[in-house]
Amino acid sequence: MNRALFRISLVCLAMFGLLMLNMNYVQAFRASSLANEPGNIRVFDEQFSYQRGTIVADGDGTNVTIAESLPVKGSDTYRRYYPFGKVYAPITGYDSIYGKSGIEEAENSMLAGTNPKLAVRNFTALLTGKQKQGATVSLTISPTAQEAAYHALATETDGHAAALVALNPSTGAILAMASYPTFDPNDFTTFNGAQLDKIDNELLRDPTQPLLNRAISMTLPPGSTFKIVTSSAAFSTGKVANTSTTIPAPTVLTLPNGHTLHNDDDEICGDGNPPIIQAFWLSCDTAFADLGIKLTAPVLRKYASLYGMNRGLSIPLAVAPSVLPEGAGWLDPSFTAMSAIGQYNDAVTPLQEAMFAAAIANHGKLMMPYLVQQVLGPGLSVISSHTPTVLSTPVSSKVAGYIQNMMYQVTHNPAGTAYLTAGPQATGGIDIDGKTGTAQNGINSDGLDDAVFTCFVPGKNIAIGVMVQGGGYGADAAAPLAVQVIKAYLGRHS
Amino acid sequence: MTAAPYADQPVPMPRGRRSTELLMLVFALAVVLFAYGAASLGLSGKMPSGPLVYIAIFGVLMLAAHVAVRRYAPYADPLLLPLAALLNGLGIVMIYRLQESGRNGNPGNQVAGLAASATKTQLLWTGVGVLALVLVLVLISQARVLQRYTYTLGALGLVLLAIPAVLPTSHSTVNGAKVWIIFGGLSIEPGEFARLALAVFFAGYLVAKRDALALAGRRVLGIDLPRARDMGPVLLAWVASLLILVFETDIGTSALFFGLFIAMLYIATQRVSWLLIGIALFLFGTFITANLFSHVMERFTVWLHPFSGSNPTGIAYQPVQGLEGMAFGGLFGTGLGHGQPYFTPLVQSDFIFTAFGEELGLVGVMALLLIFGLLVQRGLRAAIAVNDPFAKLLVGGLSFVLALQVFVIVGGVSGLIPLTGVTTPFLSQGGSSLVASWILIGLLVRVSDSARKPAPQPIQDEGMTQVVRAG
Repeated sequence: MNRALFRISLVCLAMFGLLMLNMNYVQAFRASSLANEPGNIRVFDEQFSYQRGTIVADGDGTNVTIAESLPVKGSDTYRRYYPFGKVYAPITGYDSIYGKSGIEEAENSMLAGTNPKLAVRNFTALLTGKQKQGATVSLTISPTAQEAAYHALATETDGHAAALVALNPSTGAILAMASYPTFDPNDFTTFNGAQLDKIDNELLRDPTQPLLNRAISMTLPPGSTFKIVTSSAAFSTGKVANTSTTIPAPTVLTLPNGHTLHNDDDEICGDGNPPIIQAFWLSCDTAFADLGIKLTAPVLRKYASLYGMNRGLSIPLAVAPSVLPEGAGWLDPSFTAMSAIGQYNDAVTPLQEAMFAAAIANHGKLMMPYLVQQVLGPGLSVISSHTPTVLSTPVSSKVAGYIQNMMYQVTHNPAGTAYLTAGPQATGGIDIDGKTGTAQNGINSDGLDDAVFTCFVPGKNIAIGVMVQGGGYGADAAAPLAVQVIKAYLGRHS
Repeated sequence: MTAAPYADQPVPMPRGRRSTELLMLVFALAVVLFAYGAASLGLSGKMPSGPLVYIAIFGVLMLAAHVAVRRYAPYADPLLLPLAALLNGLGIVMIYRLQESGRNGNPGNQVAGLAASATKTQLLWTGVGVLALVLVLVLISQARVLQRYTYTLGALGLVLLAIPAVLPTSHSTVNGAKVWIIFGGLSIEPGEFARLALAVFFAGYLVAKRDALALAGRRVLGIDLPRARDMGPVLLAWVASLLILVFETDIGTSALFFGLFIAMLYIATQRVSWLLIGIALFLFGTFITANLFSHVMERFTVWLHPFSGSNPTGIAYQPVQGLEGMAFGGLFGTGLGHGQPYFTPLVQSDFIFTAFGEELGLVGVMALLLIFGLLVQRGLRAAIAVNDPFAKLLVGGLSFVLALQVFVIVGGVSGLIPLTGVTTPFLSQGGSSLVASWILIGLLVRVSDSARKPAPQPIQDEGMTQVVRAG
């Protein structure tokens, strides 16, 4: 019987071995995912009992605190405080007893100190008897650009919903991300559940949708700004040789399905067969619609994708995909014509608008946009640091040069669509290259088109995308917002 | 003729090693004392004052057990008692810590179903357990004594198992498990004792029948199949364990019961076919009951998808709390008294292991598992060393079922296998389990004593064998 007993011993050994492996799995490997499981009471109870990490905006090198946990007098708890209220709301999000949003949610494991990368530091703190502390999350946001963007949106859009994103084209760093109307995250920091419910419900029911981060979650038709993509496809495929190549631009274009397309206000586009650069600064719809038909929908979609469309992004906030969708009938040339001028089913986020200009500004290389520059441990030691990565290369540097020349004309040629609002006189000598868009949104036809503007400053590291819902002309409603942010940012960074 | 060398020197006697046992027992008591102090400091920030008497009483009980072993089983394995004492002591510390939670101005919530006198009760049951250990040592001078009662204990075991099934719910059901006998303030879980009685029955039965079970039969596909009529007892055990499952809604007890029988059958016959048949029958039975009874199926759902949908706040609330508690403890734990084990329902009984995981961390539960593993290993070692086949079978089976019980409950609460409600030996709150565990230790001590006891010494040197020539 001893041989059987020996085998039974091995079975017992195996059972204890399995138990030990599994305990290691639960308590070491799975510990952080279990800690981040929604509704984890222990983590919930603990989160206000120690100092959660600070969020700072360090785009100006000034390390401005935009979210911090402060001790509540007369108790052992900490409460979240947002010194600038609404200004940074789309970025920080909120941290409440019920939930989180924005960076508070995306970087929660770092801020809460539950990330495995912080385990060694937490252990050291345990041994030395120090209190546990979350890590500091340092953002790419420039307080100068962000403040300027928020104030421009809040005061100069006549109450229209709008959003603006500023990027550093050479790295992808997000310098500003403003959305309007917005909310005050300080309203969410109460420990009173009933009061929090009330505030949350009011904001959720508010028809102006203040909780929506329009910079990355609202998609509108890009309108004529999409001509950047259409031109990119035309130059890259050789359909158009260079900027002085002429293209047909009839006053009225009859589409294959019999419908007609007019230029805005039935304007005549040059001599009816202008160089592409002129069609671009005048923003002739017929010229680019015709070009779109020749390019075909799959080619347009390919270049749209290269510019970062048709996919989700994590910055690390989740970005709604900007799309030129493949739907029923999307190959129909009549629809392709509309897609080529940023209408039909095209829809993009303000971040995507900034990415169009950023790709051109960076000589055809589109950098992955990001918000978190560094995560710093309690001793300000660097835990992780972002390395800029290339998202894609939509165009060659030669083609990028062509498009930059065309965008230069938009703001510098007296006939350019943004000459008056973003030209040298309007900017006080700052050289802005851009493209306007005035997109019919299908809801109305009485001057309430969506206003769009995408631009960059050659040689300076800023590119901007701005969209004003129902704002009217891109040149009038959107461009001045971008100009204000650029002025403020370059005022500090030149 | 020359005398054999060394013939005039005494044969070296194996040492009883009782002093080693005492030393380790004192060490175990010191660990328990420190744990108690740490729990008290963690809860209230103060060293314990009054209730220190709990630990003093516990120490006296353990020393009494040691004296009994010294007197009645002087050659017993010196590790068994200290290991059991350490587990029992840590269990008392954890029950004290849970009892104090939310009481006497301590932080946390009160644990539902845990009385303010739980520590005293557990200590009382420890006393009963030690008494049972002493009785086992005094009454059962050799394991063979039990063999006489094979069928008596077999019948007793079945009756004990069956009682809760026939009692009305009010006298038999706690938290959905119909495995209790409740009268007045006293509740007993007869299954814990039935397991011991049935182990004796199986050992006696198998020792008598093992030749038939081992040798008769045909060989099919390389596996020696037993004869159909020898299958009878196996099928009987299978049906009985299924009946427990169905009528007492207790998967854990039924798995332990069946596992015990199959392991002992294998030890007795050394035939792999019995193991395969047993495992196949178990899986088949589980499959059928899972499809017939929703409470069995629910266990599987909870095991596979604890975090999906509304499970974390619904049917999987308890296991999810257990898992999150252990994960919260991480590598080193929160420290005794610093965690929030009171969030987990029934943390004082089925889920006590998760409380250790939360407050002592991975390091602490590894230590606990090693203690259990060592206990099982010492038991199996005694089984291998002892000569008496009955004792071999009995202790081998009991050691295995101890390991299986730890596997079923710890594996259940940590998500390795579907959760079934069995107690954690020595740690869980509850008298039946504790007393049964001490009886088990008594049997291990007794058999290890038999195994290590030196053969009787010749009374005197009778000299060389002499050849007597006739005439």
